[in-house]
Amino acid sequence: MNSPEHTDLYDLVIIGAGPAGMTAAVYAARKGLQVLVISKDIGGQVNWTTLVENYMGFEEIQGPRLMEKFREQMQDEKVVYREDEVSQVQVQMQRKAESVFAVTGRKSGTQYGRAVIIATGKRPRSLGVPGEEKFRGKGVSFCSTCDAPLFRDAVVAVVGGGNSGAQAVIDLLGVNARQVNLITEFDLTADQVLLERVLKDERVEVYRYHQVKEIMGDRMVQGLRVVDRSGETRDLPVAGVFIEIGLEPNTEFLDILDKSAHGEVLVDCHCRTNIRGIFAAGDATIIPEKQIIIAAGEGAKAAIQAWKYLMRQSPANEGTGGSLVSAGI
Amino acid sequence: MAEVTVYTTPTCPWCQKLKGFLHDEGIPFTEINVAEDPDKAREMMDKTGQRGVPVTTVGDQVVIGYDPEALRELIQ
Repeated sequence: MNSPEHTDLYDLVIIGAGPAGMTAAVYAARKGLQVLVISKDIGGQVNWTTLVENYMGFEEIQGPRLMEKFREQMQDEKVVYREDEVSQVQVQMQRKAESVFAVTGRKSGTQYGRAVIIATGKRPRSLGVPGEEKFRGKGVSFCSTCDAPLFRDAVVAVVGGGNSGAQAVIDLLGVNARQVNLITEFDLTADQVLLERVLKDERVEVYRYHQVKEIMGDRMVQGLRVVDRSGETRDLPVAGVFIEIGLEPNTEFLDILDKSAHGEVLVDCHCRTNIRGIFAAGDATIIPEKQIIIAAGEGAKAAIQAWKYLMRQSPANEGTGGSLVSAGI
Repeated sequence: MAEVTVYTTPTCPWCQKLKGFLHDEGIPFTEINVAEDPDKAREMMDKTGQRGVPVTTVGDQVVIGYDPEALRELIQ
């Protein structure tokens, strides 16, 4: 269709290169679309996963290795990849016959697409309390799998009473942390099988209905201030704080799209957003169950829907299709 | 070229990714597994001010986390 060598206008711009974005890229390229993928990294959240045991076709595979295989498959197709963080998506022009969207990256400037797929995924949610950023990597960790071994014989805290919080506690007990304080704003919600392992260990102290107010320290973390529902404050001396309070979608820059109260992009079962020509897939959307295989499937769906949309909308049906000049930009 | 040292734990996915990047770029490096050596973990914290992995030292410069751009800049 278009010739991106001669213009910055692509048939499809995909934002994000996790399972959804890379699968969408392969499907779209195989439909003959000129595809640009812009992402701040390859693999997204899957890079945080040590071992994947439920992606069909692989009995077990390291998360980063699986994403490497996705990348290889994407690069086998004629897909243009640019490493950048997108700061804005705008409707450049929208008419009955053709739309053009402007996608602006922090480093690479503005690229144009006749359709867009949002596949920006999620990131670990942060507490937003004083000390959290200052001590990131200096006792504050969002990856117990990575950093637990550095807290052998230490007194630590885990914030979050869900499955990932419970798993962090188990990781820390496994490396012989001296004491693990489990802080949760509400009651524990982790699966019973995990809770049994956590609660039977005498090194675990649970603080239900406590909120974290501040992470304190000098060069490294030295303590955590928590407050209970009665307003009573308590300072816990800890050397590490593992934050496991869920995920939030990378959708702040998408102010033109309708989103849920949690910031997830609203889509219908065809991956369509409220703006014709912009599709969304994977964990950044309201689609339930955040799994690699589901994100990949949604990416495939979004690409096929984008292709169908372009076939219906495109002046390319009449020729080789729009350059920026023919699009009137 | 300044000596490149990567501090890792075996269960850290970003450490795997970082080592893959260094291999692909043909950059020789020494890996120190801080999970099995508490003295080396202490050395990492003293040298880099970090209690999290991966951390890379390029000579006396420190790169935190998986940051290919920063590494390329320091190594070139």
